[in-house]
Order: sequence, then structure tokens, then C-alpha cells
Amino acid sequence: MIEFSDVRKAYPDGTVALQSLSLTAREGEITVLVGPSGCGKTTTLRMVNRMVDPSSGTIRLDGVDVSTQDPPTLRRGIGYVIQNAGLFPHRTVLDNVATVPVLLGRSRAEARSAAGELLERVGLDPRVGSRYPAQLSGGQQQRVGVARALAGDAPVLLMDEPFSAVDPVVRADLQDELLRLQSELGRTILFVTHDIDEAIRLGDMVAVLRVGGTLAQFAPPADLLAAPVDDFVAGFVGRDRGYRRLQFVGAGSLALSSFPTTGDGWLLVVDDDGRPTGWRQGDDHVALGTVHEEGESLRSALDAALSSPSGRGVAVDEDGKVIGGIEPEAVITLLHASAEPAR
Amino acid sequence: MRLFGADILPLAAEHIVLALVPVLLGLVISLPLGWWAWRSRGARRILLPLTGVLYTIPSLALFVVMPIVLGTRILDPVNVVVALTVYAVALLVRSVVDGLDEVPSEVLTAGVAMGYRPLGLLVGVQLPLAVPVLIAGVRVAAVSSFSLVAVGAIIGQGALGALFTQGFERFYTAQIVFGLVSILVLALVVDALLMLLGRLLAPWAAARAPKKQGV
Repeated sequence: MIEFSDVRKAYPDGTVALQSLSLTAREGEITVLVGPSGCGKTTTLRMVNRMVDPSSGTIRLDGVDVSTQDPPTLRRGIGYVIQNAGLFPHRTVLDNVATVPVLLGRSRAEARSAAGELLERVGLDPRVGSRYPAQLSGGQQQRVGVARALAGDAPVLLMDEPFSAVDPVVRADLQDELLRLQSELGRTILFVTHDIDEAIRLGDMVAVLRVGGTLAQFAPPADLLAAPVDDFVAGFVGRDRGYRRLQFVGAGSLALSSFPTTGDGWLLVVDDDGRPTGWRQGDDHVALGTVHEEGESLRSALDAALSSPSGRGVAVDEDGKVIGGIEPEAVITLLHASAEPAR
Repeated sequence: MRLFGADILPLAAEHIVLALVPVLLGLVISLPLGWWAWRSRGARRILLPLTGVLYTIPSLALFVVMPIVLGTRILDPVNVVVALTVYAVALLVRSVVDGLDEVPSEVLTAGVAMGYRPLGLLVGVQLPLAVPVLIAGVRVAAVSSFSLVAVGAIIGQGALGALFTQGFERFYTAQIVFGLVSILVLALVVDALLMLLGRLLAPWAAARAPKKQGV
């Protein structure tokens, strides 16, 4: 658990990076700090491992005031991931990952073998361990950065825009991977980003900061989308927040329709196992739209309906077998019915 | 092996020692100075122009004043070693600064965040990453040192340079050309060895250009 109480940071030249921040990042959760540049989010992050010291106020890590700790010792107990990974170019991938364990006094051999396992854990082929960072793609480097941060078995991870420098497709992969890892590891993560979509995707709690370093709103992402406290947050969350809120609403009680065999002329074609393969209208074969799998959010249900050539989405079960059709109206009805945004 | 009335191999060995010891001393002195200039803007503002000026002192003048400054005998090899060390420092302080500047800021940030203490960061991260630039500087310093040793001949400590002074006295062109070529060959060999040393110390620098593959 990371607790900020009345933390303020002002520089000698009078610039105030952080006005007065009080906030708690709960144990085992991802807490995202998001805001435009100049809002003090990176400063906030760096105060946890004392790369920046506050002008006033206290930061407690599991109840202990960090200002009472020796900075290098403190830092070895906190994982840290930065933009562009910041890997050591002169060390192999394996030795990069082994950095903190070696600093903690573990033997190099032991640290290396643990590093190999970590590479697998973050979705890398352990054979990349003998390469140098420059021989890896940006996405691979960032995975190594995450592995390095996990290597010290630190209960707390600080992540400073870790995925901002990679292209959107790779970024989405890395975000999924982080969520998967987090579901296994349950670390306390403080994550900084300027990208509100990333914040909403990853955060259990999202803190929106204003330029000048004040906290505008601290809430779960669904609440942020449903009820932004003021114009700044509403503007920052973006114009299509109504649409994005769909992803936080479960489609469990969505009313599925059956596929008529006569009527508008659209017929769904399925294979012997009942999996959809396409649509047929008269003699024309038309490709499927996106398919909504049982258990996914309303966002995927609506997308299935909107992208379907017949105007009717296809819902499938876990095995990919068709379980029903999705009318766009049914999605809207369910959205309105879910007055309380669920997670 | 005797050539032109002189024992060539001991002369060559003496030339190598007189040329390389100053480079080594220069490196040892330049590392802390360069680190200081890298850290402090004020030190950089003073040290870099100062070392630049040092290099402009004519070698002839420096050799001649050394005995006066150091209180050594005129024919003491220490004169040559100290004078050449001054030149090595003049070249290498800038190399150390450039080498340390070469370390990407996110690598430094990561090092600090991992929990390195300042000395550990310098030895474990910054200096290894400065090696390619440092070696380039050392190569220049070494080659220039080889040619400057010859100038020491005018104060009687020129090793292979003595072949020039004697050759001029005797108007013996072959001896002068032989002296020139032998110094050149030694310098080239040492330069090649230093380049090799750089490759061994920084194998990562050759490892570039990722193969195209997925994440």
C-alpha cells in the first residue's frame, strides 16, 4: 500500500510540481496517475522511491515513511519500469533482468537462472537471454524492462509511461500481458500515463491530475466515465466516454434473438460444429462481422451488431458455437437498465 | 639487431614504453577529471578549455622547460614521460566527458531507480558504456604519443627518434627514412591492438540492428 498525505513539491525557482496530494494506492491493485504533461504525475511516482523528495507531506510504503529510508536500499525493494525500457545496452538481456538480485547480493548464477524463468513469464523466448538489448524489438525490450522490475520480488512496482513509445498494436499486447501478469502476481502497481484509454484499460483506480499538480478526481474507471466531477475531467476523459463505458458493463443478461430463416434474406452459415463461417444473401457469400463471445462486455456485443452485414450480431459460446443473435436495440436497452456501472 | 650503428630492438622497446606509459598515466588522471567535468557545469567550463590550451603548447618548448619545472636532470626520461602525460590528459579529459555524455539519460535513470549507488553506477554502467568513445580517444592519444616521443630526441630521450637526429647530423637519408617508417609501423600496430581491445571490452557495441520478428 502506498499512501500520499498532503504531499507538495515546489522547486527553488518557484515552480510548483505538485500542489497538495493525498491519495492511497491499495495493496494488490493497479492505481493509474493520468493527466496532461506538467501535472506532476512523474514527480509523484518518483517520490515513492525517493528519486525526488517532497517539499512537505509524507509518503508511506506499507506504513513506513519512505523519508526515513536509505534511497538505494529503498529502490532495490521497488520495481521500476520506464519509457523505452532503459535497459543497460552493455549487458545481455539475462544480466539486465538479474540486475537487482545481484545488487541485493544474490549470486550471479542464481540470479541468471531466475531471470530465465522471468523472461518466459513475460512472454519472451528464454533464448533471447543471451542477446543484447539493441538486438531486440521495442516491444521485446519493454517486456525485458517489466521482467527486470519483477526480478527483485518487489511487492511494489512503479511504471512511468512504460508503453508509450511502442506502436498501438504492440502496446495493446503489452497491456494485456500486464493485466495477465497482475492477475497472477497481485503486486501493488502505481502506473503513470498521459493516455486516458490506457488508464481506463489498466486501472483498478484512476487518479486524474490537473496541470499544476492538483487531484481532479480519484475513482474507478467506470465511475470516471459515467460521472466525471467537472468539465476538466469530462474533457480529458474524451468525447466518446459514453461509448467507452460499454466495456465496463457486462453483457451477461443481454437478450439474444434467434436467427430467422426467412425474412430479410440474410442467412447465417455455420459449419458442422455450429461455428459461424459467414453470411449468405441469395447466392452471395458475405464475410462475418466481429463475433461476440459469451462473457465479454457490452462493447463487444454492440460492435458485433454494428459490424455485421445483416445488422444482426453473432454471439458464440466459449467453444465458438453460435448461441444467438444480437440486435443493437437490445444492447442500448441493457445499457440504460444498468443504472449502476458495474465492473 | 644492429642497424645504422644502433641497437634497434632496445630502442623500439624504449619507444613503446616512453609512448604508452604517459597514455596510461593520462587515462588514470583524466578519468576523475573527466567525471568531474561531466558532473559539474562549472568544472566543465574551466577544464575543457584548459585542456585544449595544454595541447597547443609546442612539444619542443614543453620538453625544454620540463627539467626546470620538475627539477630533474636534462637527460632524465621522466621529462619525456611527464610532458607526454600532459598531452594525453589534454586529449583524454574530453574523451571521458564525451564518453559519459554518450550514456542515454533513461539508462542512468533506470540505474538510479534499480538502486545503484553513485560509484557502483559509474563503474558498473557509465564507464562500460563510455568504452567505445574512450578507446577512440586513447587511440588518438597513443598514436600522437608515438610521434611525440621522437621529438624527445632533442633532449636526448627520443628512443627511435635518435635515428632522426643522428641521420640529420650525418646527412644519412636512409637512416631518417628507417626511423620514420619504424615509428609509423609501431604506432599502427598499437592502434590496431587498441581497436581490438575496444572490441573485447565492448562486444555489445557491435551488436546492433534487431532481426525483424514479432514481439
